[in-house]
Amino acid sequence: MSESIATPTTSPGPPLEPIAPVQVSLWTSFRTLMRWSLASIGAMLPLIVIVQAMLAAGVIVGFGFLIPGITAESALVLSSGTPTILLLTIGLVIVPQGVSRARASGALDYQRALPVSRPLLLLVDLVVWTLIALPGVAIGLLVAWLRYDLTFSFDWPLLILASLLVTTMATSVGYAIAVTLPAMLAQLVSQVLVFLVLLFSPITFPASQLPDWFQALHAILPIQPAADLMRAGIASDAFAADGRDLLVLALWTVLGLLITTRALVRRK
Amino acid sequence: MHTDGIRTGANTDVLRIAGLTRRYGRVVANDDISLRVRAGEVVGLLGHNGAGKTTLVSQVVGLLKPDAGEIRVGSADAVQNPGAARRHVALQPQAHTPIDGLTPRAAIEIAGRLRGLSSRDARAVAVELAEELDIGPWLDQRALPEGGGLSGGIRRLAGFAMAVAAPTPLLILDEPTNDIDASRRRLLWDAVRRRGDRGSGVLLVTHNVAEAERIVDELVILDRGRLVADGSPARLRGTQDSDLRLELQLPPEGVDPSEDGLGLPVLRRVRTGRRTLLTVAASEAAAAVSWATAHHAQGRIEGFSLAPATLEDAYLALTEPAAPHATPTSEEATHV
Repeated sequence: MSESIATPTTSPGPPLEPIAPVQVSLWTSFRTLMRWSLASIGAMLPLIVIVQAMLAAGVIVGFGFLIPGITAESALVLSSGTPTILLLTIGLVIVPQGVSRARASGALDYQRALPVSRPLLLLVDLVVWTLIALPGVAIGLLVAWLRYDLTFSFDWPLLILASLLVTTMATSVGYAIAVTLPAMLAQLVSQVLVFLVLLFSPITFPASQLPDWFQALHAILPIQPAADLMRAGIASDAFAADGRDLLVLALWTVLGLLITTRALVRRK
Repeated sequence: MHTDGIRTGANTDVLRIAGLTRRYGRVVANDDISLRVRAGEVVGLLGHNGAGKTTLVSQVVGLLKPDAGEIRVGSADAVQNPGAARRHVALQPQAHTPIDGLTPRAAIEIAGRLRGLSSRDARAVAVELAEELDIGPWLDQRALPEGGGLSGGIRRLAGFAMAVAAPTPLLILDEPTNDIDASRRRLLWDAVRRRGDRGSGVLLVTHNVAEAERIVDELVILDRGRLVADGSPARLRGTQDSDLRLELQLPPEGVDPSEDGLGLPVLRRVRTGRRTLLTVAASEAAAAVSWATAHHAQGRIEGFSLAPATLEDAYLALTEPAAPHATPTSEEATHV
């Protein structure tokens, strides 16, 4: 076995120059990580667009069957709530499942061992997931328009702000769930959240139809504020934005980001 | 075990670990470990499964926090300032490198860019590494989720290429040869040696003792969390290069006739399962063979072979489990 030894260089040679540690600008790191993340999650993009379209059709057409002789008013509530459901589903369900998978396969630790700042990893994922989730707003509104022939009164700045904030909130909370809880539990929590968002949240119906205690709960959860803010951006003639919604969403976003950043930076 | 290196030659050390201890609950995964890797040196870290190798590596790159001890990576204190330490290290982990959605070419370019190469240099490096590791035909084949697109061996080689895409003061490779075919394994070992010759300090985690022996300068052997031996391969082999290994295959009931001695000097004796490995001097070859032939004829051993002694024999002696049958005769085989 020793006949083909890859002998260490025996010639003394010039002394080796010490190799310098990595020095890379934040911007280069960000761009490179974006390329990586887009390639790995991007493969799922067509699938996610299809899931969003089917979910939108399910909510708008399917829930419509539950309401016989639907009024224009109910149709507007239903339609203007659909984009919120799509954004929350991506952030609270698909993101935690993806992150749990990355944790289990070692992909998350691989990235954490790279010579880049760990909060940058979170920023990259937030941007990528936002890019993936945002088409959901257009898809939801398109399906609603096809079904009910509604005219929306967009408040564009508000709609853009609300879409970004809701996506960031949902993604950071979903991320926090996945990095905090064991994989099985994270999976379970994200499944329960689907039902909470779809059926038990005042997104597709007015909050006044809920019992008082549930209304009080929804006032502090981020789901109703997300729906109300999105609605005010989609049908600004019929619904008004409330500063309180903005505040609740911002607080949940900060909470999600803090928990996630801590989990990414901390050594076990 | 000699840890005096911690104090001397500090300016060329790319990794210095002193008194490192890490527990998981009541299990001590790393127990007071000290070692060093100098620039230009390949250090093999050997040990059975669960010996604490990956735990040690995880602390160097800041995934786990030590309970006690020091880790210096280059000029950075990896315990106090893990972010700075990571800029000195490239790691190929034992788990697969996450390249789903990427081609090996794109993955290598990304790894190079993250470590400071220009776009042009990163592109050139991808081509060079494909040549060096003979993965050219797969360079533009995309890795798909659930292990599709690229085989495990090509993924592992791409992961290696990502770790070495840019020169780095410390290179840590955790079982880099898993899943890789024999001919490319040879290319990979040569590539590892070359990184050392170009000035990186390499910490090579492996249980492939026989192959690693060819390219390492130093070896560190862990057993159940403790450092049981370190030194050059020749020193650890502990016997002459010309020494021979007599391997006995024992009958199922496991009575070992060599326990009563062979009537000739035995330098080391290790029992693993139904095998006994005996190290003897070359001059005793004839006597050893006639002893074995006689016992084989009587049916007291099922078979035997005589071959040059290897580092693997020494490694097995050092990490032998403290089973009731085990009676290491070598003084090195004492473990705590």
